[in-house]
Amino acid sequence: MNLSILPDIIKNLFKKPITVQFPFESIPIPENYRGEHAYDIDNCIGCGLCAKVCPDRAIEMVELAEEFKEKYPKKYPKIDLGKCCFCAFCEDICPKHCLKLTKNVFLSTFDKSTAIKYPTPANQSE
Amino acid sequence: METIENKILEKIKSTFRVDGVVQRERRIWITIESERLVKICQWLKSEGFVHLSAISVTDWPEEDCYEITYHLWSYNEKILLTVKTKIDRDNPLIDSVVPIWSNNAQIHERELHELFGVKFHGNPDLSQLFLEDWEGPPPFRKDFDWREYLQKEVFDPKNLREQGYYDKTK
Amino acid sequence: MIKQNNTIENLFTSTPDIDGYDFYFGPTHPGSGNFGVKLKLHGERIESAKADPGYLHRGFEKLMEYRIPIQNSMLSDRLCVLEPLGWNLVHAEAVDELMGNDVPERAKYIRVIMAELSRIQSHIIWYGVFSIATGFDTGFKIAFGYRDYVLDLFEMITGGRVYPAGYICPGGVRRDLPEGTEEKILKVLDKINEMIDFEEKGNPVLEARTKGIGILKLEDAIRLGATGPVLRASGMRSDVRIEEPYEVYDRFDFDIPVRLEGDAYARYYLGIDEMIESIKIIKQALKQLPGGDYITPSLKKIKLAKKLPEGEVYVRNEVARGEAAIYMVSNGTEKPYRTKVRGPDFLHMIPVLEFLLKGAHIADIPAIYWSLNVCPADMDR
Repeated sequence: MNLSILPDIIKNLFKKPITVQFPFESIPIPENYRGEHAYDIDNCIGCGLCAKVCPDRAIEMVELAEEFKEKYPKKYPKIDLGKCCFCAFCEDICPKHCLKLTKNVFLSTFDKSTAIKYPTPANQSE
Repeated sequence: METIENKILEKIKSTFRVDGVVQRERRIWITIESERLVKICQWLKSEGFVHLSAISVTDWPEEDCYEITYHLWSYNEKILLTVKTKIDRDNPLIDSVVPIWSNNAQIHERELHELFGVKFHGNPDLSQLFLEDWEGPPPFRKDFDWREYLQKEVFDPKNLREQGYYDKTK
Repeated sequence: MIKQNNTIENLFTSTPDIDGYDFYFGPTHPGSGNFGVKLKLHGERIESAKADPGYLHRGFEKLMEYRIPIQNSMLSDRLCVLEPLGWNLVHAEAVDELMGNDVPERAKYIRVIMAELSRIQSHIIWYGVFSIATGFDTGFKIAFGYRDYVLDLFEMITGGRVYPAGYICPGGVRRDLPEGTEEKILKVLDKINEMIDFEEKGNPVLEARTKGIGILKLEDAIRLGATGPVLRASGMRSDVRIEEPYEVYDRFDFDIPVRLEGDAYARYYLGIDEMIESIKIIKQALKQLPGGDYITPSLKKIKLAKKLPEGEVYVRNEVARGEAAIYMVSNGTEKPYRTKVRGPDFLHMIPVLEFLLKGAHIADIPAIYWSLNVCPADMDR
């Protein structure tokens, strides 16, 4: 019987496992990662360039509901995350820098309707 | 100053009567008629252009023609020569170069037959390559609109899962 | 399996050929990727093989006629899943030559570094999948463990692990290198050297299954249109980076490895020699990296209506699998009129594979198939 492996076995008994227990902890995500969009409605001028440059046609310009039309009269982008490929062209082309990509990558869901992001004014977001 | 590209172009022009131009270093483009294709290609292969890089077809509907280009590379001189010819668009028929460049040319011509409808006279096998059971017109032509074709042939308006595809006008 | 000519009536009137049957090495087999081969067998020997492509055909050449060049560079990294940055570079060079762009020096060096890192990453996949197909299971696990270091580098520079979303765009690159990248690249290259030391020790099972199998002679290789490592393992010294240098490859000092036997063992070990040369190129490029702009100033903001001048170009590059080329025609509008993509695997997987499989045993199919470094996405486009 080969006893030379015994020191290795005893050393590994007391080491911490290397697996990352996912839903409770995660590996660190670097700074420039392309994740979910963050949209600032107060600076937007409604030019529509983000909808024209999107290669997958995931952005569509819509009007807001009746009660907000007085303060926000133009058309604003509605993003469909199911079609988006996270290429960041909409961030590069926006002239007022109000559409940015954050580091949030935890976007899985069971309900398809949560994948569409409507433009909502800041004090009413839910 | 006599560069090597100019020397090769002069040699081709003196053997056959063709128009050609030197675009930049290592690139020569010549234009010929489709009847002399096999004779010129055989002479070019014996001059050192042994590697056939690609065969491609461009569709010009206003001039009513297809333009076929053959891109040849020579390992000795390190120069790329492109041969361009034009054929008719409604009845596209041309001689095949399989006797010169063997299976390399055969697979390129088989792909172009399926996607553009060009018939190559002398190719041993022109069966389907990518598309299975395809009955429509050749798909890469400029007048083929795939959305109309799918809406007529495949789309089922009563199926709940396909409801959202043809709502908008474009 | 379908037996030929073996009905009940025939059994009494003729001697049946009980050894001849059809066999489909198909797309749902775990050892073949998205590609099928129809074989006619006799006993254990293959009489003829016919390739069945088309499971990944997405119609790229027609899709690229409806989009402007910056959107096309996002599509160009989906041309080959295993090496996106190499194809980004081919497309960006074609548009640069049509428009007459003047790419700054720093952008050219960054492009070369990213392309060589992508070549190393693709050869690591080749090593891993080839090992597991011939029975050496540990090689697969070690290879994919070391590949993760390179993917972490891509995540830090471009923002995505596998798809960089058009990082190499017409005019330069989309973002500059962040702080501290150069030290991290040198650390990752030390780790890759560890992996190459492990690989060169070899394995007796791998050598017995691949030496002398699938021999491709030089005149057959040139006649069937093979390029890249498949041609260099048969004895021809040819590489697009030396024959027509593009970007800044003429300023580096590197060698082209060549082997003479032409069997599966020679093709496989050529990949390891090429990784060593790529490491040399990256170290020289990091020493010579200048400062300055990372993109031509006129293309820094995306412009939707910029027209391409009329003309046509043909650009050749060397990706990890062979010679890649793009032929682009423009008639004066802002979208390209016709884009033809020439991939190296279109020639390797149909004429060369059908030629090599004739007369081989069934048990040698994985060794021959994976030694050609196939990528079905590149063939179907």
